[in-house]
Amino acid sequence: MSRDTALNLPEDLKTRALENARQATPVEALAPLRRDALTALEGAAFPGRKTEAWKYTSLFPLTDGHLARRAEGEAPADLPMLGEYRLVLVNGRLDEDHTALPEGVTLGRQARRLEGLTTPFAFYNGAALEDAVTLDVAANTDVSAPIQVLHVSAGDSPSHCNTRLEVNLAAGSRLTLIEQYLGDGPVLTNAVTAIQAADNAHLTHYRLQADAGDSLHIGTLLFQQTGVSRIDSYQLMAGNRLRRNDVRAFLDKSGAELNMHGIFVARERSHIDNQLCVEHRVPECTSNQVYRGLAGEKGRAVLNGRIHIHPGAKGTLAELSNKNLLLNPGAEIDTKPELEIYNDDVKCAHGATVGQLDALQQFYLQSRGIPLAEAKRMLSLGFVNELIMSLPDQAVADWAQPWLAAELGQRPGADEEAA
Amino acid sequence: MLEIRDLHASVAGEPILKGLSLTVKPSEVHAIMGPNGSGKSTLANVLAGRDNYEITGGEALFEGKSLAELEPEERAQLGLFLAFQYPVEIPGVSNMEFLKAALEATRAAQGKEEWDSVTLLRKAREACKQVDLDPQFLKRGVNEGFSGGEKKRNEIMQMLLMEPKLALLDETDSGLDIDALQTVAKGVNSLRGPERGIVLVTHYQRLLDYIVPDHVHVLSGGRIVKSGGKELALELEQHGYGWLTGGQDGGNGKEDRTA
Repeated sequence: MSRDTALNLPEDLKTRALENARQATPVEALAPLRRDALTALEGAAFPGRKTEAWKYTSLFPLTDGHLARRAEGEAPADLPMLGEYRLVLVNGRLDEDHTALPEGVTLGRQARRLEGLTTPFAFYNGAALEDAVTLDVAANTDVSAPIQVLHVSAGDSPSHCNTRLEVNLAAGSRLTLIEQYLGDGPVLTNAVTAIQAADNAHLTHYRLQADAGDSLHIGTLLFQQTGVSRIDSYQLMAGNRLRRNDVRAFLDKSGAELNMHGIFVARERSHIDNQLCVEHRVPECTSNQVYRGLAGEKGRAVLNGRIHIHPGAKGTLAELSNKNLLLNPGAEIDTKPELEIYNDDVKCAHGATVGQLDALQQFYLQSRGIPLAEAKRMLSLGFVNELIMSLPDQAVADWAQPWLAAELGQRPGADEEAA
Repeated sequence: MLEIRDLHASVAGEPILKGLSLTVKPSEVHAIMGPNGSGKSTLANVLAGRDNYEITGGEALFEGKSLAELEPEERAQLGLFLAFQYPVEIPGVSNMEFLKAALEATRAAQGKEEWDSVTLLRKAREACKQVDLDPQFLKRGVNEGFSGGEKKRNEIMQMLLMEPKLALLDETDSGLDIDALQTVAKGVNSLRGPERGIVLVTHYQRLLDYIVPDHVHVLSGGRIVKSGGKELALELEQHGYGWLTGGQDGGNGKEDRTA
């Protein structure tokens, strides 16, 4: 790709996105949403190299033309099961044959207009939407078993899909939701997930992103805590060719509590950018965020953790911790906590560190006969172990342990690079 | 099994060992004593292969192989074990997981039969019992939040499981009360045998009341200045190090800083 192509990329992407949106198959239930999103898209600029929020993430990989085509591949025959109930979206379209939902949960094929979306990709998601899934959990329902939502992307050539999931927890309901992204091939998944929790609702949410290294992902996750609710979110993410996760949470009723825990790993030449933003808009809400990042070889990881405490939000408790580990000098992690506080009566703590494996710990393990590569893997796992141990669902823990062990294992050439 | 000839070594570029020679044969227990900063801990760390502890002259052979050529894990796989003066805390890695990895690597390298997880757990519990360590410690992070004495007992526990050919104990007695000292000594004594060499690095004579050495060496200024039998330790206890080191109780003062 020429330099000129890259320079014009933001405009090219916008032109392409608008064209796609106008050509998308009309779906009656989605028409009002699409009109709104199109208006937003028309007024939005795609990020360029000088856009602050995209400082560390270049859209250069998209010069391969992902937006030019929609992904048309088929899902692999055997999809992983992490629970009894499952909802499958292939390239953003509901796969009814593989979907089974428990009682108390209603499946809809529509989407809401969402407040709080900020990226042009999220607008494009709405403007070009051809299918959408909404799960409504009935009031006072304790959904007995986890629901796994599989977002599968499939395609052989550079292409993209828009996938959209909305989950509404009515008052007094409880749900465990496992969102898992799977993909093979050079497909950009442009995702929006929005979760709304009413009074006394409790959601345990997992986000498992282990799609293959040549896949791309740009997505927004929205939490809207409109009631006195609790959300515990566990996010396990590997870098790929381009991964960008915007997470925005709105704590909109006093007493709401949000806990987010995340592990992100960028090995080889992979990339992951986490943009977190927690909006405390009313008094007496609690948010707690703990993220651990690792990067090795030429991997690149980014975390920007914004906590925004609005003028009326007195009595807020907000914490953010992000510790990172560089597995060798070629890797890079950029982390920035960003506090914006417009109220004196708050308790807010944040901390971010980037470190390397401890030489003395390595020597201690080696002195017991453990080879250096294995010692490094053990120490890397140890760095995130606390979070893995705290996963409340065994099925997810059983998935996470081997995934992490492989993700943190030795890479060919890693030590030569380090030397 | 250990043959050290005219060994020179430096720590982070600073010469500490200046021509040290020592031979340890199977079944022998050697005590290396000396004032602070004489190079005792440096010797232990050089032999185990710690980073920045560099051999600059002479040689150290273990089982006929030059230690300078071997990675720390290769030395351990050959049967060398260092009980650390300051055992390292590793949060997030459980003691059990650590032992499993260590024993898998060393037993495979030594051609010993592999222990399945049931056998390993049983052996680990026995070893804990032998050094008076609550088996609950097996589940905790390696040395994480252990007291000084618990850390030292954890070292001996590992040593019992790993059954090394040569055990180097670096100031294992420091910071132990008399009960813990006896427990640790009992553990070490249980490993004494015709196939095994033991080197005790210590500042004080009192450990040698419980682990009786065959040979005692006094280290000063980076070399051995006097060797003798167990009675030499008693002489040191009575007279201090001054009569051997020309009145200087301090060597180069580097040892504690780098330990």
